Amino acid sequence: MKAALCLALLAGLLAGCAPLTERVILLPGAAGSSTGALSVKAARGEILLAEAYAQADVIGGEPVRLTSSAQAVQAAYGGLLAMRPPAPQRFVVNFELGGDKLTPDSEPVLDRLRAALAAIPGADLVVIGHTDRVGSVEANDRLSQQRAQTVRERLVAAGAAPERISVAGRGEREPAVATDDEVPEPRNRRVEIKLR
Amino acid sequence: MKLRPLLLAALFALLTSGTAAAADTAGIVKRLHGTVTLQRGGQPLPLAPGTAVQVGDRLVTGPDGAVGLTMADDTLLTAGPGSTLVISEFRFNSTTNEGNLLATLLKGTLNVVTGLIAKQTPQAVNVQTRNAVMGVRGTDFIVDARGDAP
Repeated sequence: MKAALCLALLAGLLAGCAPLTERVILLPGAAGSSTGALSVKAARGEILLAEAYAQADVIGGEPVRLTSSAQAVQAAYGGLLAMRPPAPQRFVVNFELGGDKLTPDSEPVLDRLRAALAAIPGADLVVIGHTDRVGSVEANDRLSQQRAQTVRERLVAAGAAPERISVAGRGEREPAVATDDEVPEPRNRRVEIKLR
Repeated sequence: MKLRPLLLAALFALLTSGTAAAADTAGIVKRLHGTVTLQRGGQPLPLAPGTAVQVGDRLVTGPDGAVGLTMADDTLLTAGPGSTLVISEFRFNSTTNEGNLLATLLKGTLNVVTGLIAKQTPQAVNVQTRNAVMGVRGTDFIVDARGDAP
């Protein structure tokens, strides 16, 4: 029976009765990001998936184009998708002119960050300090590092694992708002924190 | 003579990169369910949320197991039950967002949500299985590797 079925299929399909070895499904991008695209290459061909729920089944070394759906993905892979780590969260705190003293407005941001940190087992943090353009480039490199260290200390006090915090200072090189040199700009006196 | 490049290197490291302890860390285990083992150089290692994963590490999930990793470039790799996933290649420069990622799914299921490397250089992120190579052009996808047939 099986052989007969195979022969029948062979008559119509070049792929024959080779097993399905891989299935690849392109998912829609997260809110605000595009779906993008994905190439699937195997021994006997390559296809490009470019729409949400486009599917490629690799059968006997040949990628075959199919279409999946939100429902089919949920049914087959809902458990997998439920185990995804949370998307990184971003926080920004600001500093008073010329030093590493946080602005009063930044304390509630740190409170929110502490709460978010407590909810993530195995959290890691990326802390990056910045300055405005008042002062020399060299002094701002040091100041940005100092600001990042200040935030790092606050995070360690809040329970973050010290070895899971990476700290960098970018000086005045990456302003949030472009300004001329020597212009004080509160929005650029900042530390950006990524919580993962 | 030797001091100067060293000093410059130290300064550069101070300004641009993360802590030295994080140098070998390609990613961090964020979510764990059921039986999951981490194999490094043929040795099994204990695994918990927060465990660092390095290039060459092999993650094996049991029939009830699943594991979710966040890579240093924010790529999310999630392997479902009955999977074997190898972090074959990973490099990431957090200043320029340049680097590359090659994940090898020997069997099972993998969800990939691409991160900063793919945003900068989409073709630098790839997933391979026994019979296929998935080249990212930026995005979120599932790979289900069912058989070992070549």
